[in-house]
Amino acid sequence: MSRAWIGLALFVLVAGSAVLAMWLSPHDPLAPNYRNLYAGVSGEHPLGTDGLGRDVLSRSLAGGRVSLTIALAATALTMALGGVLGLLAAGIGGLTDTVLSRFFDALLAFPGFLLILLVVAILGGGSLQTVLAMGVAGSPIYFRLTRAFARAELKSEYVTAARALGATRVRQLWRHAVPNFLGSLAVQGASTAATFLLVEASLSYLGLGVPLPTPSWGNVLQDARSYLTRQPWAAVGPGLFLAAASLSFQFLSDGLRDLLDRRD
Amino acid sequence: MPRYLLTQGVSFVVTLWAVLTLVFFAVRALPGDAATIMGGLDATEEQVQTLRERIGLARSVPAQYAAYFGGLLQADLGDSLRERRPVTNVLIERLPVTLTLAGMAFLLSLVLGLGLGVLAGLRPGGPADRATLLFTTVALAIPEFWFGFLLILLFAVNLGWFPVLGLPPSGLTLASSWNLILPAVTLAIPRAAQLARLARARVLEERRSDYVRTARSKGLLPAAVGRHIASNALPGVLPLLALELGGLLTGTIVVEQVFGLPGLGLTILGGISARDYPVVQGVTILAVTVYVLVNWLADMLQLVADPRLRAPT
Repeated sequence: MSRAWIGLALFVLVAGSAVLAMWLSPHDPLAPNYRNLYAGVSGEHPLGTDGLGRDVLSRSLAGGRVSLTIALAATALTMALGGVLGLLAAGIGGLTDTVLSRFFDALLAFPGFLLILLVVAILGGGSLQTVLAMGVAGSPIYFRLTRAFARAELKSEYVTAARALGATRVRQLWRHAVPNFLGSLAVQGASTAATFLLVEASLSYLGLGVPLPTPSWGNVLQDARSYLTRQPWAAVGPGLFLAAASLSFQFLSDGLRDLLDRRD
Repeated sequence: MPRYLLTQGVSFVVTLWAVLTLVFFAVRALPGDAATIMGGLDATEEQVQTLRERIGLARSVPAQYAAYFGGLLQADLGDSLRERRPVTNVLIERLPVTLTLAGMAFLLSLVLGLGLGVLAGLRPGGPADRATLLFTTVALAIPEFWFGFLLILLFAVNLGWFPVLGLPPSGLTLASSWNLILPAVTLAIPRAAQLARLARARVLEERRSDYVRTARSKGLLPAAVGRHIASNALPGVLPLLALELGGLLTGTIVVEQVFGLPGLGLTILGGISARDYPVVQGVTILAVTVYVLVNWLADMLQLVADPRLRAPT
């Protein structure tokens, strides 16, 4: 239980600071100040300023907004994509099942990050493209999980009873099977969100994710890399935000799993 | 040949074919075809068309598909658009850096991950277990490249033990492989954490089995029991090891960028930004082939190590 609470507290803190970024930020995250480049840590700029004199703390707060939105959107997309197709495969079976299963097997045969990189290379860099790329790359796990869960539930006695009462396939799946494994999917989902935060940061760091000047944790860190030795705080600060956010999702996932285990 | 080897062999070939087919279509879905980019900005439509014919893009898709697999069988990956030489040569040149880095990172994560995992699993709740939990939690939450920054700040900038960037002009030699230590540690830490988690879970599982109770009750020393547990638990770690080893060939992309190491990672990144599609395709083909191959070898190893898995399911 304790980890779930730490996770929740961290999440509220990180998400809250991202939502309230506009009011919390001491400066405009996009406004340059050419008379104050690479400034060190001070009361005015708690994490210093970057190569254009922009306030790093304000950029980290604004970046969190972008990074969290992208990670959560991609998680929702990947769960929906894998989940719906998994339900289709389990519900229809036959050729549909075989074709879908083989397709996702082939996707799984790619190293994850390479697959995301290829999708981004095809679609071009950008926020929406990053969401799509991670959504596609993450989907095989959800396809497999949903398909396996749904197949097991469809074989169970209570679903057979529902069928005997005349429930359609859609109703059997949606009303009877899905509520039984939604919790397990949520555990996996929180863990995926933690991973996607790190992946988005890596992509933006490589210049293939969120395009500048919109700040995201990844591209704020990309900036920071170029003057790492001159202004280390600009790299340390946003990284801590990112790690805290990722940790909070991981804890939420662990805590959720503990809760579900106790119920069973 | 035993039946299980045959089915495994067939599934390997089918997976590889499916993956390479996906790559074929993915590369053809890239915006702007290779001929347009080769021709440059002031090429006329006729010049582009001539180029298309020369590099085989004017042919029908099935003919291109046949030529693609024909080329693969001869290790012919086409010519790099930017460097105007065979992609195979580019890859051979860049491979040693990535292989050395991946090898160092793999060994490090193996020792650290299995060591911590087994120690933690043998004494659940003890100090080693709690330290391992802390380590894995933190290591899996921090972004890899950012951890690289911290290592650079501490060991390269403050202590000066390592250079801040890259390899000397002489390239990769025995002496300059010292420069690969920080990047290898950066890569190894999160992978060691994953490995430690799984190894710990496998050891905990084995501890509960009957033979362990028997061994304890007949008075076997704890160290001997520990050896039995480890040797039964560790084959279960093989699939993750394979994912890790196979994934390292492209897993180094971000770290190569952070440390400025001219390996496969920088090659594919350069290929993407210059739209040098044959290079992107070449690195991808090499990486997925190795990935599929290593995972398949691990499956086979597991079958060899554990006869129970050979029964048809």
